[in-house]
Amino acid sequence: MHELLQTTVNGLTTGCLYALIALGYSMVYGILKLLNFAHGDLYMVGAYIGYFVIQWFGGPNAVSIPVPLLLAIMVLLAAVGVGVLGMAIERFAYRPLRDAPRIAPLITALGVSFVLENTVLLLFGGFTRSYSTPTFISFNSGITLDGVRIDSVELMIFGLSFAMMYGLHQLVQRTTLGKSMRAVASDREAAEMLGINVDRTIALTFFIGSAMAGVAGVMSGLAFNQISNTIGFLAGLKAFTAAVVGGIGSIAGSMIGGLLIGLCESFSASYVSSEYTDLIVFGILIATMLLRPTGILGQKALQKV
Amino acid sequence: MSLLELDQVSLTFGGLKALWELDLHVDEREIVSVIGPNGAGKSTVFNVITGVYRPTAGDIRFAGDSIVGLRPHRITSRGIARTFQSLRLFLNMSVKENVKSATYGHTKASPPESILRLPRARREEREVDALAEQLLAFFGDRLQGYRWDQPAYSLSYANRRRLEIARALATRPQLLLLDEPAAGMNPRETHEVTELIVRLRDELGVAILVIEHDMHVVAGCSERVVALDHGVKIAEGSYEEVANHHAVVEAYLGRDPEALAES
Amino acid sequence: MTDPAQIGRDEWVARSADRRDEGTGLRRVLNQLDARVGWWPRLAAVALGGVIVGQLLTNVNLQQVGFNSLLYALLALGLNIAVGWAGLLDLGYIAFFGFGAYGFAIFSSAALGTGGSGGAHLPAIEIIVIVLAAAGVVGVLIGLVALRLDGDYLAIVTLFVGQAFMEVVNNVDPGTLGGVNGLFGLDPLHDFGGQVSSTLGYYYVALAALVLVAAVLRLLDTSRTGRAWRALRDDPLAAAAMTIPVNRLKVMAFSFGAIVGALAGILFAAQQSTVFPTNFTANILILIYACLVLGGVGSITGAILGGIVVTVAEQMLSSPTDAGYLFYGLILLALVAKVRPWRRLAWVLGGIVALGFAAHGIVSLISSSAVAGHPGSTGWIGSVVSNYVIVPSNPVGYGNVLYIVVLCAMIAVVRLEGVRRLLAVIPTVYIAACCWESRLIVNPAITTQIMIGVVLIVTMAARPQGLLGSRRVEIV
Ligand SMILES: Nc1ncnc2c1ncn2[C@@H]1O[C@H](COP(=O)(O)OP(=O)(O)O)[C@@H](O)[C@H]1O
Ligand SMILES: [Mg+2]
Repeated sequence: MHELLQTTVNGLTTGCLYALIALGYSMVYGILKLLNFAHGDLYMVGAYIGYFVIQWFGGPNAVSIPVPLLLAIMVLLAAVGVGVLGMAIERFAYRPLRDAPRIAPLITALGVSFVLENTVLLLFGGFTRSYSTPTFISFNSGITLDGVRIDSVELMIFGLSFAMMYGLHQLVQRTTLGKSMRAVASDREAAEMLGINVDRTIALTFFIGSAMAGVAGVMSGLAFNQISNTIGFLAGLKAFTAAVVGGIGSIAGSMIGGLLIGLCESFSASYVSSEYTDLIVFGILIATMLLRPTGILGQKALQKV
Repeated sequence: MSLLELDQVSLTFGGLKALWELDLHVDEREIVSVIGPNGAGKSTVFNVITGVYRPTAGDIRFAGDSIVGLRPHRITSRGIARTFQSLRLFLNMSVKENVKSATYGHTKASPPESILRLPRARREEREVDALAEQLLAFFGDRLQGYRWDQPAYSLSYANRRRLEIARALATRPQLLLLDEPAAGMNPRETHEVTELIVRLRDELGVAILVIEHDMHVVAGCSERVVALDHGVKIAEGSYEEVANHHAVVEAYLGRDPEALAES
Repeated sequence: MTDPAQIGRDEWVARSADRRDEGTGLRRVLNQLDARVGWWPRLAAVALGGVIVGQLLTNVNLQQVGFNSLLYALLALGLNIAVGWAGLLDLGYIAFFGFGAYGFAIFSSAALGTGGSGGAHLPAIEIIVIVLAAAGVVGVLIGLVALRLDGDYLAIVTLFVGQAFMEVVNNVDPGTLGGVNGLFGLDPLHDFGGQVSSTLGYYYVALAALVLVAAVLRLLDTSRTGRAWRALRDDPLAAAAMTIPVNRLKVMAFSFGAIVGALAGILFAAQQSTVFPTNFTANILILIYACLVLGGVGSITGAILGGIVVTVAEQMLSSPTDAGYLFYGLILLALVAKVRPWRRLAWVLGGIVALGFAAHGIVSLISSSAVAGHPGSTGWIGSVVSNYVIVPSNPVGYGNVLYIVVLCAMIAVVRLEGVRRLLAVIPTVYIAACCWESRLIVNPAITTQIMIGVVLIVTMAARPQGLLGSRRVEIV
């Protein structure tokens, strides 16, 4: 029973991270109908930013500022840095292709992903780096419920993810920016004619989506310690699966999809085999595609003729 | 028995009743026009007939058999071809290839036969070529000569409309659905379209269901006119009957006075 | 009354073929060649050229490069079926390459035996037939899933297919598939009592396969199936309305691509005589995409050309001397192509040269250790640039910073216009050269990958039709 609960907690932790990445995917897809393959790599860049912040403030063994402050700086810098990077990518790689054939921006996205991954390889080397989280945040610092331990990193992940998702939901539903985003997503040309600044809306969407991926990167570094330049590929793939399973374009869908994939992963790792987790996730994707191509919460878009 | 019969066909998009309990029939070698203000559901009729949308209720029979639920390419293969209001040519293919591509359904050569250029593949290719040339010849020299090898995107708007018709004919239809064939054409060209529609029926023996806003075309070619509004049939009969029908006048006047003035 | 035949007729369009012959210089010659030489003579020329080049490949390294070029050309051809003709973004293509390679490996090694001995050791023809048929069937199965998906979903599912293939060969039944260690000790291609044993031999086999596949694809492209694919790519909905069974054609495209990919896999495994899971990563997939995109999506000749160009460039990058030719050559080519008139070009080139020597001179006066490093280029390029670029004794950090600066500078160049752009080009090229000499050229593997990514991005932005494709019109 304990093991079951512990596995659930672990699954939810990973799931939150997937959900955060999935949100960005989903937002960008919603607004541009573009699969941003580079999104997973943005998450990876976020993880590196967090790592270098730790190094900057004395390294994991001798952190020179209070740990909460350190965490805040990590999260903020990763969010802003990755957000700006995402915006730059949109501006220079995708925007010129907005009216190009559908396949062109996808290929560009592959190229951007490849460049990002290898740029990090060039600058920081291919070896795995470690956050060494336990040396500055004790494993025992969390809470224990009924013998199931939720450490403080996990708590932080839950808190932050839900807060960000709630914030995003409010943003999309309540603010002018959110309205513009929805308008551009449903019909870009009409939105433009209504005086909505389409370029700015798309840029901000990229900023927000990328920032969330950056935060997810920092948190995954804290939770799993190991980072390298290749972590973005699989994480991106699974996050996209989460977005699709949940229903692309829906915030709650991304959340549900992310948690679902996270749980699947941790359960199959505990009870089946860690080697087959990816295959199982893949199976879920295929099953979703076959049974409910619009995902759990997605709606079928009818093509107008 | 009519060639095409729509029997109490309804289609809803969410809450919107795009079509409601529509009865419609087209007989062999008959030319029927569908008129109605914008958004009346005219193109939607074509879309349910050709299988793009599945009707939420009702039955559609073609030559006696129900075609509801068949996939679009099957429906076309049975003998219903269409053009699109918004022009959906294969823009990057040449004019002739556009026409030839529509013969896929009635040619048989498998990829290995084509690769080895076996007799059947060669024969079919010859036939298809001849068919394409014959159909393009319908439009005078508009789509002749050097135009054959030009990509469809280089054509003028009017020529694109013509090419859509030629392409639809290449599927060897018994029933041709034309969605606003004269849209965007000048008066001369519009007049030609009217003649063309009659010629197509006379020379190829197809029945034609045509959506058209231009009342000259409607008056000039149709044997029967059906008026739609809000997805419901509001009038049916000869052109004079329908054009003077109070519901039709109201439908146009209520929303689009200019359309009435034009007609 | 005006002559009705004249309405809507635009002579401008009618004469587009003549205009294509105009142009200037080299481009004109190429265009004329392109227009006049038929497809089959071209293929014959490729075959003949391939044989002649084969005679010139005097050492094993060159022969290997030749083989790889043909292999990637073949891979690009296969990818082109789904991507270029049917318009399906197939990111699982690499799995079929791997499938062919592993298929060959299993039937031509001890994998099916016990304890490292025995095994199937089938002759080539049998393996080829079995593996290609199986690949065709797997292609159909994946295609059947893919049918349910529209463009982008298809991409993600197929990307996962590639990943799943990796996981399967890594984890499933290590006794047969070899796990991370792969399979080794494969037989060479052998049949009818003979076998292919030299690299040059494989070069000719690959050449034959390439010519054969290109011919088959050309015949297919000009048949009803090829037409239907192109229609599908332009407008699936209209294609369906024109009696084209969209789903069946999508599956066929997948399946045909799978067969070509698997054929390439067989050649690859036989020549290498080993297979490892890492031979089939997403990196290789992107490399194949680079070949296709650079050559021109949708064009058979383009795919072949792209395969050859990318492989040769990749090879050049791994040798410091050749890498210099490639790097400086490309910069020169880009400047010559883009900067007009000639006078301006001369100013820009002069500026680039002068800036470098001046900067080097000034910096060496200030600090001799700042220029103490050696440029990465060797040969005459190395000695020419040693007084040109600034390379400090410890170039790593410096090179990294320059790399970022170059990226930003390139963006600036793209953003600026007119004379300002030209002025920005001068320092950009110089900094790029410094970065190249101090950092990039020292890491050929990473540099290659970055360049491949850049090729994809730049081609899509500047010339989406690639070197040889024709520009497409699409309504989105
Ligand atoms: N795919 C769709 N989704 C939602 N509404 C649609 C769709 N297609 C058509 N409609 C609606 O159905 C109505 C009829 O449209 P249409 O048949 O195109 O009209 P028209 O008579 O001008 O051809 C319109 O209100 C249109 O907005
Ligand atoms: Mg309409």
